[in-house]
Amino acid sequence: MLTAIKLCKHIRKVNIHKLTASLKKEFLLLWSDKAGLSLMFAMPLLLVFVITVIQDSALKVASENRVALLVANHDRGSSGEVLLDKLQASGLFELSVQNELEERDLNGELLSKGRLMALYIPETFTEGLEKSAREVSTLMLRDLGMDYDPKALVLPVKPSVSFYFDPVLQENFTYSIQSIIRAYMTNVETSLVIDRLYADTEIEVSPDLLKEKMLSNRVSINAFAASRGKSGLQPNSTQHNVPAWTIFAMFFMVVSLGANVVKERINGSFLRLKTMPTSFFLVIFSKMLVYVVVAVLQVALIFSIGVYVFGRIGLHPLTIPAHYGAFAMVVLLSSLAAVSYALLIGVFAKSNEQANAFGAISIVLFAALGGIWVPTFVMPDFMQVISKFSPLQWCLQGFYILFLKEGSWDDLKWVILYLLLFVGVCQLGIYLKLRAEKLV
Amino acid sequence: MDIGIHGVCYRYPNEVEDTLQNINLRIEPGDIFGLLGPNGAGKTTLISLLVGLIVPMEGIIAYSRDSQVLTTAAMRSSIGYVPQEYAFYPELTPRQNFAYFGAMYNLSASDIAQRSEELMEVLGLAQVQDKRMSTFSGGMKRRVNLAIGILHRPDVLFLDEPTVGVDVQSKYAIVRFLKGLNRNGMAIVYTSHHLAEAEELCNRIALLDHGKVIVQGTLSRLLAEHGQRDLQSLFLALTGDAYRDQTL
Repeated sequence: MLTAIKLCKHIRKVNIHKLTASLKKEFLLLWSDKAGLSLMFAMPLLLVFVITVIQDSALKVASENRVALLVANHDRGSSGEVLLDKLQASGLFELSVQNELEERDLNGELLSKGRLMALYIPETFTEGLEKSAREVSTLMLRDLGMDYDPKALVLPVKPSVSFYFDPVLQENFTYSIQSIIRAYMTNVETSLVIDRLYADTEIEVSPDLLKEKMLSNRVSINAFAASRGKSGLQPNSTQHNVPAWTIFAMFFMVVSLGANVVKERINGSFLRLKTMPTSFFLVIFSKMLVYVVVAVLQVALIFSIGVYVFGRIGLHPLTIPAHYGAFAMVVLLSSLAAVSYALLIGVFAKSNEQANAFGAISIVLFAALGGIWVPTFVMPDFMQVISKFSPLQWCLQGFYILFLKEGSWDDLKWVILYLLLFVGVCQLGIYLKLRAEKLV
Repeated sequence: MDIGIHGVCYRYPNEVEDTLQNINLRIEPGDIFGLLGPNGAGKTTLISLLVGLIVPMEGIIAYSRDSQVLTTAAMRSSIGYVPQEYAFYPELTPRQNFAYFGAMYNLSASDIAQRSEELMEVLGLAQVQDKRMSTFSGGMKRRVNLAIGILHRPDVLFLDEPTVGVDVQSKYAIVRFLKGLNRNGMAIVYTSHHLAEAEELCNRIALLDHGKVIVQGTLSRLLAEHGQRDLQSLFLALTGDAYRDQTL
């Protein structure tokens, strides 16, 4: 902004002809940089597409696809079979039953045959569950003041199954699978407890109805994503990834723009410009204007692909927020933030290599801190504080408020303030550096 | 335009010695003024001061026309500068470079078009005016470098080693072109290590060494005063024959 304010003082001296020529020169330089253009347009498009497909597939693995599970059932009773029936009926698993395998074989199966998970049901599974059911039933008889066998209150060994998994699987994924198996085992165990209770209390009526009532999930969870809007917009991998990776692409222009500024500063044309009746502000302002347009075009291109193409290739189509004014503001401020940061790197770097290396690494760090890859809420507390200094985090917040929560201007106020502050600080840095070098 | 240089000193940041000490020179309309000297003498620093890239720490550089001192803006519009480096955008064509730099000199689009056509014709670049300059030879690049510096028809043209690294034909074309510009009234201030070229081109010279002007005046007067037969023998007599290697 400071550059822009200082520029206003020069604008009286700068005629439109100069500005047009400068903008045209920037456009031609950009157009001649085919590698830079592909980095700014093709790379993010590919990135958005790949990341969205991968995340979408990961979600489908958990929600739509069946999980392959190797099973060795050595249970002498029937509960092991009942458990497997329930797992099969859940539709979540693709069971591969190989009862000839011993428990010691399962480790080898996973290591050498590419299996991901295996379940071993021991010979004493039913026996253990029945003893457990008997313990529960006996406790009830005791508490109801009825006759009971005190020996049944001592449970020698708790029943267990063994779960083997490939260590490449993510921890939260294996926990989810174990939780599902545990839920079905509880189901089997509860059924046995009801049978035992009916038997011990000599109730002659069949317990099937009670089992049905107790074992069926009678409380449903209605899930709602918090949103200001009424459109029922559902969060999905597209709504998350398209804005996130678009922001990353916008900021990654530091590689092209930063190097462009350095090149101009260190080559002879800049020396010549310094002797001319013109200002370097014009050069910087022209670059800013051209690259803000580039950033807006990046958004337009990537979002258009999200809206019009994703739906045709099996992904969720992108839903553009209804609040167009706020949307335009977030896009513009994000573009200005990205361009200002790139210009700042460009005026401070002493060589192209420095601009490229520092620019790219800093953006990757900002992206990591800003929640582009992993949501900030899963980060440790101190990292969450640090993440507030990442401009990408605020840009992402702005897009998420609009794309996921259908937020309003009021929800965006801190995002807008922070981004304006960030742009201001970058512009001040640019101005001070140029002034220190006696360029303005 | 007259340029008066009075008691100018300059020292680069972090240097312990002055690069230029007490420089006093005068450049007048019609001059082809050669700033000559061995490596590290201060020629490029003096040119940089004269075109306003850096500011003297002591002394004054006054630009005047008809006894009126020019403002910085007026001075910038009245001078042309051709640095040692290629001072253009190699990704663009000569025509696109002329359009940009011409506009920065406040020339109208029609003036730029007309003058760039003329210059490209004279400098033998008409056939390549729409080709990207990154594909040009060293000689072609030097000629475009020169053409951009005179697009706005300055009163004084500053050239820092304009023929370095070019072939004989391009060097000949550049020298001939500079003579033509001077005949049309343009003053030229020029640095070079090509002493024969300077001898052919310059009507006055200043010989610098260790940041000081050793001698200045017309070549014939200086040769007579020091009993030398040509510029090279004068140069070696006054600056010695020891190497002047520089580290960056």
